[in-house]
Amino acid sequence: MNGVSPAAKAAQKPAPKAGRVLRWKNAGLFAVLVLLALPPFFVDDYIQFILDLILVYVMVSVGFNIVLGYAGQLAFANAAFFGLGAYAMALCLGRFHWPFAAALVTAAGVGGGAGLLVSLPALRLRAYYLAIVTLAFGELLRWGYVHASSLTHGSAGLAVPAAGVFGLHFATDRARYWLFLVLVALTLWGSANLLRSRFGRSLAAVRDNEAAAAAIGVSPALAKIGAFSWSGSIVALGGAMYALLLGRISPESFGLSQLLLHFSIVMIGGLGSLLGSVLGAVILTAAPELLRDIPGLEEILFGVLLIAVLLFMPKGVAGVLGRFSLLRERLYLS
Amino acid sequence: MAAQLVLSGIGQGSIYALVALGMTILFRVTTIVNFAHGELFMAGAFVIYALLRWGVPYPLAMLGAIVFLFALGNAVERGLMRPLAGAPHISLAMMTVALSYLLRGAVRFVWGGNVRSLPPLFSFAPVEVSGVIIDAEDLVIILSAAALLAVFFVLMRYSQLGKYAQAVTDSARGAALVGINVPAFHCLMWGVAAVVAAVASILVAPETMLYPDMGARVLLRAFAAMTLGGFGSLAGAVVGGLLMGVIEQLAGGYVSTAMIDIASYIVIIAVLLLRPAGLFGRPEVVRV
Amino acid sequence: MTALLEVERLSVAFGGLAALSEVCLTLAEGTVTAVIGPNGAGKTTLLNAITGYVRPQSGRVIIEGRAVTGLPPFAIARRGLRRTFQNGGAFNDMSVLENILLGADKALRSPFFGILFGFPGARRAERQAVAEARAMLARAGIRGLEETRARELSFGQQRLVEISRALLSRPRILLLDEPAVGLSESEREELRQRLRGLAGEGIAVLLVEHVVDLVMAVSDRVLVLNSGQVLAAGTPLEVRSDPAVLEAYLGSA
Repeated sequence: MNGVSPAAKAAQKPAPKAGRVLRWKNAGLFAVLVLLALPPFFVDDYIQFILDLILVYVMVSVGFNIVLGYAGQLAFANAAFFGLGAYAMALCLGRFHWPFAAALVTAAGVGGGAGLLVSLPALRLRAYYLAIVTLAFGELLRWGYVHASSLTHGSAGLAVPAAGVFGLHFATDRARYWLFLVLVALTLWGSANLLRSRFGRSLAAVRDNEAAAAAIGVSPALAKIGAFSWSGSIVALGGAMYALLLGRISPESFGLSQLLLHFSIVMIGGLGSLLGSVLGAVILTAAPELLRDIPGLEEILFGVLLIAVLLFMPKGVAGVLGRFSLLRERLYLS
Repeated sequence: MAAQLVLSGIGQGSIYALVALGMTILFRVTTIVNFAHGELFMAGAFVIYALLRWGVPYPLAMLGAIVFLFALGNAVERGLMRPLAGAPHISLAMMTVALSYLLRGAVRFVWGGNVRSLPPLFSFAPVEVSGVIIDAEDLVIILSAAALLAVFFVLMRYSQLGKYAQAVTDSARGAALVGINVPAFHCLMWGVAAVVAAVASILVAPETMLYPDMGARVLLRAFAAMTLGGFGSLAGAVVGGLLMGVIEQLAGGYVSTAMIDIASYIVIIAVLLLRPAGLFGRPEVVRV
Repeated sequence: MTALLEVERLSVAFGGLAALSEVCLTLAEGTVTAVIGPNGAGKTTLLNAITGYVRPQSGRVIIEGRAVTGLPPFAIARRGLRRTFQNGGAFNDMSVLENILLGADKALRSPFFGILFGFPGARRAERQAVAEARAMLARAGIRGLEETRARELSFGQQRLVEISRALLSRPRILLLDEPAVGLSESEREELRQRLRGLAGEGIAVLLVEHVVDLVMAVSDRVLVLNSGQVLAAGTPLEVRSDPAVLEAYLGSA
C-alpha cells in the first residue's frame, strides 16, 4: 500500500480546521460542566435530591448502553450490577469501615467481576437465552441479599454511613451532587474516549456482523468480555452512588422494576448513544416526580414513551438530535 | 411426604405449564418472547374481579375475561407489534416491555396498588387418599389444564390451524407464498396466547392475591419452564412447567422453603449452561 | 516466489456428506489464483475452511510456514489474511468511515490507558488512521459517503467498502468471494486492473468467481472444483483446454 501515504497526507490537510472545531467543542463541554456545578447554590433540598438521582441514573444508563446499545447484547443483568455496587459500597463503608476511595474502587471492581462472569454465557448464548439467563442471575442475587441476612440484614435493609475523602465530607445531597458530577463526568469522558477508538468500533462490529468482525481480526469473545466488564463496573459505580444517596438500601430496590427502568432509559434516550443515556436519565427520573401523586401514571408514561420511541424514533431522543452534525456521535475522533 | 409434594407441585406446575404454553405459542409463530405475558395473566384476573364487582355471575365473568383478552391480544398485534415487523429482537422485546408497563399502570391507576382477592370458586373439603391430602382446587386446576392442553394438542396436530402454524413457524415468507395471510395469523395467535393467559388466571385467581405486580412471578416461572422443556417446544413448555412445579415443591419440602423462590432461577441457569436446548428443543444452529 | 498460503489435502463434511475432499492449493506472493466451479461445488466452503469458519475433517492450512488449522477465524485473520463475504460483510449500522477504519484498527497499538485518558499519542494515531481511511475511500471512488450508514449503500458500494477495509489492514493474503457479482462490464474491467495491481504489490489473491471471462483474464492459476473435488488446476490456458473441465463446467455454461 505504498500509494496510501501521499494521499493520506493530502487528506490530512483539513486537520487544523478539525482541530479548532474540537477545541471549541471541548471548551463548550467544559462550560457546560461549570454550569452544571452551580445548581446546589440555589435549588431547594427536594430538587437537589432529584438532581443527585438523575446523576445516578446517568451513570447506570451509560454503563448499560455499552452492553445493550454498543455491543448489542440483550442482557438483563443490569439490576444485578447495580445492586452489587450498592451492597459493596454499603458493606465496605458500614461493616468493614474502609476508606471511601477504597470502597468506591471495590464497588466498581465487584461490578466488573460480575460483568466478566455474565459475559461467559454471552459467548455461547444468543438473544433471548442470554436475556433469560441474566434475568435469572439478577433475581438470584436479590434472593441472596434477602437471605444472607447476617451480612445484609435481609429485607430490613442495610444502612449506608456518610463518607468522605481528602477531608471532604459527603454528608448532604449538595456535597454528594458535586462528587457525583465529578464521577459522572470522568466516566462519560473515559467512555467516550474508549468508544471513539478501536475498542468502541470492535464492539459495534461484533454487534453488526460477528462473522465479518472476526474476519478482520476482532475476537468476538474478547470484545464481549470487555464490554460486559466495562459496563458492569460503571453500573456498579452507579449503584454505589445510589447507596450513598439513599443512606439505606434493601433488596427490593434491585429487582425487575429497577431493571426495566434502566432498560427504558437507554431505549428512550437512544441505543448506542452516550448523549441519549444522559437525556433518557434526565427525562425518566424527573418526569415520575411530577406524577408521583397519582398511582400508575408513571408506568403509563413509561409505556407510552417507549411505544412512541419504538414506533417513531428508532434511535431514541438522541437520534433526533443527531440530525445536527455537532451532536452526531461517531466511533472515531472527529 | 414426597407424594404430597409431587401432587401439589403438579397443581402449581399446571399453571406454569399454561403460562409457558401461551408464551410458546406466540414465540413459535412470531419469534417474539412476550415479556408482558405475566401482565396479560394479571389483566385476566382483574377483569374477573371487575366483572364480579359489577354483579356479573362467576361463569360470565370468566367468559368476559376470555373475550376481553382475545380482543386485547388482537389489538396489541395490530397497534403495537405489526408496525415493528422485521425489527431487531431488542425492539420487539422492548415493545412487550412497554405493553407490560401500560397494563400495570392502567390497573394501578384504576385499583391502586393494594392486594385484592376473589371469592373462592368452589368450597369442597379436601379429600384424603392413603395419607395424601388432595385439595379440590388443585384437582380442578390440574384437570382443567389437562383438558385445555389436550384440546390444544389435538388442534395443533389434526386441524388446518396446526398446519398453518407449522407453515408460518417454518418460514413466514413461504407461508405467505402458499396463500396464508401471515399478519392475520400473527394477530390470531396473539389473541390465542392472551386467551391461554386468561385461562390461567381464571384457574388461579380465586386462590391467589390480586395486585398489579403479580405477573412478574409467573413470567419468571414460565421462562424457567420453557427453558427446561426447550424453548419453542409446545410439549416442552408443558412438561417443563409441570417439572418446575414439582421441583419447587420438592426443594421447598426437603431443603428449605426459601428454595421455592429460587428453584426456577437455578434451573434456568443450570439448563442454559449445561444443555441450552432443554429437554425437547433442537440445538440452535449458528450460521456463518 | 514464496508460498504464503498452502492448503494440504483439506476435507470438509457436513453431516456425513463430503463437501470438500482432499483439496490442495498454494497461493504464492504476488499472484492471483481463481477458484471456479458450478454452484455447490464447494467454493465458498473452501474459503470458509481456510479462514476458520468451518472446521475441516482433515488436512492442513498453512500460512507462511505455520499451520493455522483449527484456529478461530479472528486468529487466522491476524496472521495477515483478509477475506470478503459473498452475502455482504459490511457493518450495517456503522458509517462508511467507521467500517473502513476497522481495517486500520489492528495497526493501532495505542495502549488502553492512553486511549482511556485521551493521551496525545493515542489521539494522533487515531487521527492518522482516520486520514488513511479517508484516503482509501477516495481511492475506491466512494468519497462523500463517509457519514452514510453502510445499510444505505448499494450492493456494489458495500462490496467496495468491504474490499477497502480489507486493504487498509495491508493483508498479505486476500480472499475474495464473488467480487464481480452485480458489477457492470466496465466495473469488471476496473476490478481486473485493481486485482492485478494488488498482485503487483506482492499480495497473494484468491478469487472465488462465477464470471469466467474475468477469471481467465486476471488469474495466474485456476483451480476448478466440482462436487468438492479438484477437477483441474493450472494456468487459465491449461484449464480452458482440459476436456474434463469443458464437459463439467464450461460446456454447460
